[in-house]
Amino acid sequence: MSAMGDWIGFVWGWLATHGDIIIIQTVNGIVTGMILALIASGLTLIFGIMDVVNFAHGELFMLGAYVGVVVLSISGSFWLALVLSTLVVALIGAALQITTLRPLVGRDPLNTILATFGISLVLQNYALWQFGPVPRKLDEPITGQFVLFYLAYPWYRLLIALLSGAIIGGLYLFLKHGTYGIWIRATTQDRVMAQAMGIPVPWVHTGVFAIGAGMAAASGVLFGPLIGINHAMGLDWVLKAFIVVVVGGMGNLGGSIAASIFVSLLEAYAAIVVSPAQAVIVSFVVLILTLLFRPTGLFVPTPK
Amino acid sequence: MSAPPTPAEALVAVEDVHTFYGKSHVLHGVSLCVGRGEVVGLLGRNGVGKSTTLKTIMGLLGPSRGKVLFEGQAITGLPAHKLARMGIAYVPEDRRIFKLLTVMENLRTGLDRRGVTEARKQELLDKLFAYFPRLAERRSQAGGTLSGGEQQMLAIARAMMLEPKIILLDEPTEGLMPRMVSQIKEIVEVLHRDGVAILLVEQNVPLTLEACQRVYFMEKGVVRHHALASELTVDDAVVHQYLGV
Ligand SMILES: Nc1ncnc2c1ncn2[C@@H]1O[C@H](COP(=O)(O)OP(=O)(O)OP(=O)(O)O)[C@@H](O)[C@H]1O
Ligand SMILES: [Mg+2]
Repeated sequence: MSAMGDWIGFVWGWLATHGDIIIIQTVNGIVTGMILALIASGLTLIFGIMDVVNFAHGELFMLGAYVGVVVLSISGSFWLALVLSTLVVALIGAALQITTLRPLVGRDPLNTILATFGISLVLQNYALWQFGPVPRKLDEPITGQFVLFYLAYPWYRLLIALLSGAIIGGLYLFLKHGTYGIWIRATTQDRVMAQAMGIPVPWVHTGVFAIGAGMAAASGVLFGPLIGINHAMGLDWVLKAFIVVVVGGMGNLGGSIAASIFVSLLEAYAAIVVSPAQAVIVSFVVLILTLLFRPTGLFVPTPK
Repeated sequence: MSAPPTPAEALVAVEDVHTFYGKSHVLHGVSLCVGRGEVVGLLGRNGVGKSTTLKTIMGLLGPSRGKVLFEGQAITGLPAHKLARMGIAYVPEDRRIFKLLTVMENLRTGLDRRGVTEARKQELLDKLFAYFPRLAERRSQAGGTLSGGEQQMLAIARAMMLEPKIILLDEPTEGLMPRMVSQIKEIVEVLHRDGVAILLVEQNVPLTLEACQRVYFMEKGVVRHHALASELTVDDAVVHQYLGV
């Protein structure tokens, strides 16, 4: 009994002295989680509707950041850069889908995996050729900071979390209401029957790929100011996005979002006790445990 | 017994169609036709290729030989969504309603087409809900939560939202209670009165003979026989021969 009391006392004591860092890491975890959710939503949406594992998603993220850099340097407006980059990369995504993925419909999934992998190599090397190996900087639109305990915390980080949430919320409303949302959900559930009901399924696929590409681009621009922009910036983030897509249940939008925040929070807390580089291991541990014990995803009811 | 006259101008004509699933040759030259507003039955034992015939007409399977005509125009090779917009609707044997969509959203997959005004949509829904009050009550419920009979009603109702010229109806009464079966029969009559043609695949012979004007009999991937429904009775030798009932 007294041992137990000691334990509780110890934990309370620790929490009391480390409360500030816990709150800071909670904020950090949520901010990173929202960005990750934005990247992962596009990935999971594309997988859910057309069973395509898009290995080029990270490169669309990277391309978005570069288009953002170019538009920002010409126009001087970050917000214009965000909007234009989203639209341009969505169009590029649509063109890529029509030329490389549409002809592969109905083939072995390995074909589409190789195709998207090929796209990713082409885009990465194009960026290297066009923009060179030196990382570019994207300036944040607001530079103000507020004090979080002993830390000067940038307002921009909170703004990213809010904007990511707003974009994901917009996607949810789009899917939930309106004809195109019904078309997308019907196609996800039963592609053949959707087509028999007159829904132009090949164009629904193109549209969804474009939306996913646009969301990747938006996250690239939003996140650009916090990380350096180079041709390989997509790799880390898309790897993490793949992890949360699997942990959340492949193709399950809500699950991916929950998993993004869950994994990012765990990593942020782990970074309190170990170094941030080691904290990354947490997401792999979560991935392995999920694959072992709940391969359909942490955030879906166990299928009957 | 001579074959009955077929309509002079066919709405749908299937001519010598051969269809494969991978390497397995399932349809070996199917020919049949359905006139405007005509209700035609397609009977045969399990596995003779009735559903495959409907899927081929709907453009869900591509025939390796032969062609399908709609209003005199070749439609072989056109994607299913174009055929649906042209006026061919499909009610598959396993119903395939969108289980996670609400009843209303299921209907909207067919209703939200270009050129349909809001007023027209409302008119179609009002008419539909008059026939299917159960669907009206459950309009915001997920399709997957409906009973088997209600799902069948929804599958037919959803097809009707396309305002089709023909409905390909695959075993609509399969597994339904007698009361539901007579309701399906009523709907077929209503559609017939509205001038919608139907190609009906059924196991229920009495219902088929009552609802249809003409009947085709299939065996091993071909149409073997063709008769006026009024000339057949449930225990005809022909019916025995092709259905073994
Ligand atoms: N997806 C498929 N792949 C391979 N073979 C198939 C497939 N679907 C059907 N078949 C085969 O094609 C043949 C015809 O099938 P079809 O479903 O058209 O028969 P049916 O007349 O509708 O039978 P039932 O009365 O049982 O519904 C059967 O031998 C069946 O096993
Ligand atoms: Mg069948």
